[in-house]
Order: sequence, then structure tokens, then C-alpha cells
Amino acid sequence: MARRVSRVNTGEEEIELNMTPMLDVVFILLIFFIVTSVFIKEPGVDTLRPDAMTEEDRNPSMLVAVTADNEIWVNRRVYEMNELRGVIEQLLQENPKGRAMIQGDEGANIGLILDVQELLMEMDVEVHISTLQQ
Amino acid sequence: MRRRTKHQEDQAEVNMTPMLDIVFILLIFFIVTATFLSEEGLDMRPPPDSDTPPDTDAPPPIVVQVDDDNNIFVNRTRTDVDRVLSAVNRFRAEEPNSAVLLEVQDEAEHGIIVQIWDEMRANSVPVSIQRTNEDS
Repeated sequence: MARRVSRVNTGEEEIELNMTPMLDVVFILLIFFIVTSVFIKEPGVDTLRPDAMTEEDRNPSMLVAVTADNEIWVNRRVYEMNELRGVIEQLLQENPKGRAMIQGDEGANIGLILDVQELLMEMDVEVHISTLQQ
Repeated sequence: MRRRTKHQEDQAEVNMTPMLDIVFILLIFFIVTATFLSEEGLDMRPPPDSDTPPDTDAPPPIVVQVDDDNNIFVNRTRTDVDRVLSAVNRFRAEEPNSAVLLEVQDEAEHGIIVQIWDEMRANSVPVSIQRTNEDS
């Protein structure tokens, strides 16, 4: 009985030994994806964005949402216009080459969106206006 | 006793499988979040300031004004959102090179401005945006 168990075990062992190269590959892939992934901090609020025809694909790393009630959301919190500079500086420290995207609601005031855009441009951040996602 | 220790060694190698499961789950998580980055958007930034004086030969711009109550005026004539393009095209028929200057008041709706901006760009009409103060 005991002998039979050990023989079965040796058979299993040989099959499992082949896993190691695959595990190496999987680890390398894992490390690759960890290194390349940029974590986006979601604004945490849904905005109904305007639809557009001339939109282009962008890869932002910073999202600023402006709702129809003219609240500015970054990283799941509401900020006032004068607090925004500090928040963006913090995000820039994590990701100095960050590009920003303003998710403005259709009903938001254009003045506030232009204010946010001007602030980001002043801080040398590439900024675009987000439109409806297809 | 000796047999038992041998048995434990066997088990030590079997224990790789749960770790592999975790690694796979992490891998799938990172693959999924990595493809999540793409967003579609417009570039509404004003052009950088230039030192060269503006071209004096250029025709005067077509002024599209949007006020706080979302009323739209094309060269001081009131228009509907959907008719801005046809109104602009009518002016451009006379002066084909004229650009559009979008003058917005702060409380105009973002959606309307983006729609006008996008329509102009889609029809390759040069457009720039300028803010106006209420008192001006």
C-alpha cells in the first residue's frame, strides 16, 4: 500500500516539475505588466460627456471631472478651484509626465472647465477635453 | 517516521499550484487594468502665444457668441445650436478664409461649446475660443 502511494507520487512529481519554466514566464509577464501599468485615479463620479466627431484617442494618467453641478472631482473627492493646484502637484509627483483629461459634463459651466484647463496648462500638463466614449 | 518525512517533501512541491493561481490572477488583473487607459478626447487648448504680429490681411473672424443663458449669436444674429454651422458657412461663402472666434461667457454649457467646436473642426473651419466677461 505504502509502496504504491510513493510510486504514484513520483509520477506526479515529474509532471509538476515541468511547471517551473512556465512559472518563470508568467512571473516575467507579471513584472512587465506591473511596471508598465499606470494607475489612473478615477474621479469617482459619472459625467455625461458631449459627443464629438473629431475626437482622438489619448492616454491620460490624470482625470479631472467637472459635474453638471460645477463640482470638481479628482480621485473620488470634491475639490474647490483653489485647492486643485496642490492636488495636481501631488499627482504630478507620482507621474511627472502625466497627461490630463477633463471629463466635463454637458451641463457644466464652460468657464469652470476653461479655468481647470488654464491651470493645467500653466503647470505644463498636456490637457484634453474628454468626450463621449464609443 | 522516515516514510512520513518523505511524504512531506512530496507535498512541498505540490504547494506551488495555489501560488501559480494567485500569480495568474494578478497577471489577469494587470492585463485588464493596463488596457483600460485609452480615452477619447478633443484638444481645445488655445495656441501658444507668438511674437509675430497678427496677419493684417486676414479677413475679420466670424464671431460666434454664447452667453450665460446659452443663447447663440453668429455675427450678432441669434441662431439655434444646430444652425450655427450653416450660418458660419454662409459667412464663409463670402470670405472663404475667415476663421471662427468662439466667444463664451462663463456660465454657458460645456456641451454646447464642445458641439460647436467639434462641428467647426469636422468641417475644417479654423476655430479658437475666447472668454468674455459679463461686463464687457
